[in-house]
Amino acid sequence: MKKTSVTTILGAFIIGLFVFLSLAAPGIKALTGLDPDAQNVFSRYQKPWSRGTVSQDNRENTIEKLIQRDPLLAQSVENSLKEKSLVKTDLSGEALFELALMPVPEAISILEKIDSPEATEIKKIFHSFELFHLFGTDELGRDVFIRLIFGARVSMAVGILVALMAALIGLLIGSVAGFYGGLLDTILMRTTDALLSLPLLPVMIVVAAIDLQKLPLLPTLVNAQNESILKMILILCLFSWMTVARLVRGNILSLREQDFILAARALGASNFSIITRHLLPNVIGSMLVAISLGVGESILFEAALSFLGLGIQPPTPSWGNMLFNAQELIYQSPLLAILPGLMILLTVMSFNYLGDGLQDALDPKARGR
Amino acid sequence: MLTYLLRRLLQGAILIVVLSYLCFYLMTLMPGDPVDMMISSNPKITAEDVERLRKLYGLDQPAYLRYSHWVKDILSGDLGYSRTYRVPVQELLAPRLLNTFILSITALCFSVLIAVPAGVFSALRPGSRFDHFINFISFAGISIPSFWLGIVCIILFAVWIPLFPAGGTLTIQDESTSFGFEVLDRLKYLVLPVLSLSLQQIGRFARYTRSAMQESLRHDYIRTATAKGLSQNRVVWVHGFRNALIPLITVLALSMSSIFSGAIITETVFAYQGVGKLTYDSINSNDYNVAMISFIISVTMVLMMNFLADILYGVADPRIRYV
Repeated sequence: MKKTSVTTILGAFIIGLFVFLSLAAPGIKALTGLDPDAQNVFSRYQKPWSRGTVSQDNRENTIEKLIQRDPLLAQSVENSLKEKSLVKTDLSGEALFELALMPVPEAISILEKIDSPEATEIKKIFHSFELFHLFGTDELGRDVFIRLIFGARVSMAVGILVALMAALIGLLIGSVAGFYGGLLDTILMRTTDALLSLPLLPVMIVVAAIDLQKLPLLPTLVNAQNESILKMILILCLFSWMTVARLVRGNILSLREQDFILAARALGASNFSIITRHLLPNVIGSMLVAISLGVGESILFEAALSFLGLGIQPPTPSWGNMLFNAQELIYQSPLLAILPGLMILLTVMSFNYLGDGLQDALDPKARGR
Repeated sequence: MLTYLLRRLLQGAILIVVLSYLCFYLMTLMPGDPVDMMISSNPKITAEDVERLRKLYGLDQPAYLRYSHWVKDILSGDLGYSRTYRVPVQELLAPRLLNTFILSITALCFSVLIAVPAGVFSALRPGSRFDHFINFISFAGISIPSFWLGIVCIILFAVWIPLFPAGGTLTIQDESTSFGFEVLDRLKYLVLPVLSLSLQQIGRFARYTRSAMQESLRHDYIRTATAKGLSQNRVVWVHGFRNALIPLITVLALSMSSIFSGAIITETVFAYQGVGKLTYDSINSNDYNVAMISFIISVTMVLMMNFLADILYGVADPRIRYV
C-alpha cells in the first residue's frame, strides 16, 4: 500500500471520529453528567485525570427539583436521616440541603448508613454529582473534555458548512464565467482575482468587527444566540469561494471545446442542460478536493478569528475561542492552551491529507510517489 | 510591456479606492462611534452636546460624504489623529511599519532558505525517507494554526526553558548602547515570532518547490544536459531549478499576503509592535483613523508584492510576453 493512501485513510478515520464525537456530544453530556457551560469556582485549574464535583449551586438546585418532583421520597429520607441523627439541622425540609452542602463523598457515606430503597435513590443522585475530568478544568472550573467535544461540534460545523457553501458559490460563478465568457467572464474573474490578492485576515477582521444590528434587514433574520456562528459562516463564505471559482472556470474552459459538448450541442441540447448534465459531472472530482482542502482552511480561519475575539462568542465553545484567554493562563495551566490547538491541527491535517489523497486518486498522472 | 504595467497599476489603484471605501463604510457599522465613547466617559453630557459633537465631527453626514472629506485630508498629507495614542497617525505608523517589515522579511528569507533546498532534495529522491519527512512537515506546516504555534513556542522556549523573551519588540534601554548591541537585542525578540510565522510558509514553499522541481526534471533538456556530461550540480541547479523558479515566484509573491495575515496573529500573540497589531488594536478600540490607514497600507503592500511578482516572471523566464 502506498504511503499516500495510508495517510488518506488515517485522515478520513480521524475526521469520521470527530464527526461522530460532535454528533454524539449531547449523548456524551448526558452520559457523563458534564456540562460545557457549568462553572465551578471551587474546582478551577484541576489537573487532568482528576475527580471533581458538581458546583454547590447546582447540587442545591438538583435537590430542590427533586423535592418538588417527589416530595414523599425526599420526606422519607429526611425522616430517616433525622431518626439516626445523621444531620445537625432539625428544621423541616433542610436535611437534604445540608447533605448537598457537604463534600460529596461525605454525603454519600452518610447516605450509606441508611438502608432503604429511597436512600439508594438519593444516593444515585449524589453519585451523579461526582465528575471525572479527563483533561482537567479551565479558569472557570468548566470541564475541558466536554468543552473540546462541544467545540468540535461548532468548529466542524462551521468548517464543513463554509466549505460546501463556498464550493456552491464558486461553482456558480466559475461555471457562468467559463461557459459564457466575454464581458461577464472578465468582470467575474477580475473580482475573483482582486479578492484573491487581498490579505484575507485584515479584511476579515474589519468585516467581523461590524455590528450586524446596524445593517438594515439582517437583525430580523438572525437571533441573538446563534448570531456569532451565523456571522462567522457568512464572512468565511464571502472570502473563500475564489479558489473553487477559478478551478471550475479553468476546467470548463477546456471542457467546453471538447467534442462531446459539440455533439450535445448538435443534438440540440440547451445551455442549461449542457452545463448541468455534461460539464458539472466532469468538475465534481476536482471540487471534492477543493471542498476537502477548504474545510481545513475554514477551520483555521474560524479559529484565528475566534482567538482574536472576533469569531464565535463565548459561552459557546469553539476550538478557537477556547484559546482566546489561554495565553494569559500558560503559567497556571499550559494544557489549556495546548489541547484545543492540537485538535485543530489534527483535524485540519486530516482534511488536507484527505484532499491530497483524493487528488491523487483523481489525477493519476500527478502521482509522483 | 509599458501598457501592461500601467494597466496593472491602474487596476491596483481602483481596487485600493474601492476597498478603502468599503472599509470606511464597514467602520461606520462597527459598534460605538467616537461620540458614544465620550458619552460613556462623561455622565454629565447633555443631548444638545451630543448633537453638537456629532455635527462637529461630521458624524451626522452619510458615509460617502465623510469618505470624500477623509480622502481630501489624506491627499493634503493629513493622515489624521489617533484617539487612543494621542499622536498624529504618521508618527505612530513609521516605527510600526519598520517593525513589521523586519519581521516579515526575516520570516520570508528564513522560510525560503529552509524550504527551497528541502524541496529540491526531496524532489531528487522521491519516495525516500527524507522525502516523506519533508512531506509530513509540509502538511503539518500548512495545517498548524499559527497563533497556537506561537503560544506553544512561548510555553516551550520562554516558560519551561527561558531562552527567549515571551513577547515585545526590543528591550527598553538608554540611547548610548552600540548599534551591534541593538541588533542582537532585536534578534533575540525576533526568534520566536519568526519561527511561528515561518513554519506555515516553509510547508507551502517546500511542497511547491518539490512539485515544480519534479515537473522540470521530467523535461527532455535535463536528459540532454546529463547526456552531455554536465555535473549533477549544474544539471539540477542551472538547468532544472531555473525552470522551476517561475511557479515558485508566484507562490512567493502570493505568500506575502499570507505572511501579512499571519503577522497580525503573530504580532498579537508576541505583543510585537507592528502594523498588524496596530490594525487589530485600533479596530478593537474604534480608532478609525489608525485602522483605515494601517488597513490600506497592508492591502497596498500585498498588491505591490503581486505586481512585483509579475515583473519578476519576465526576468526569470524571457519567454513570457506582457500583453
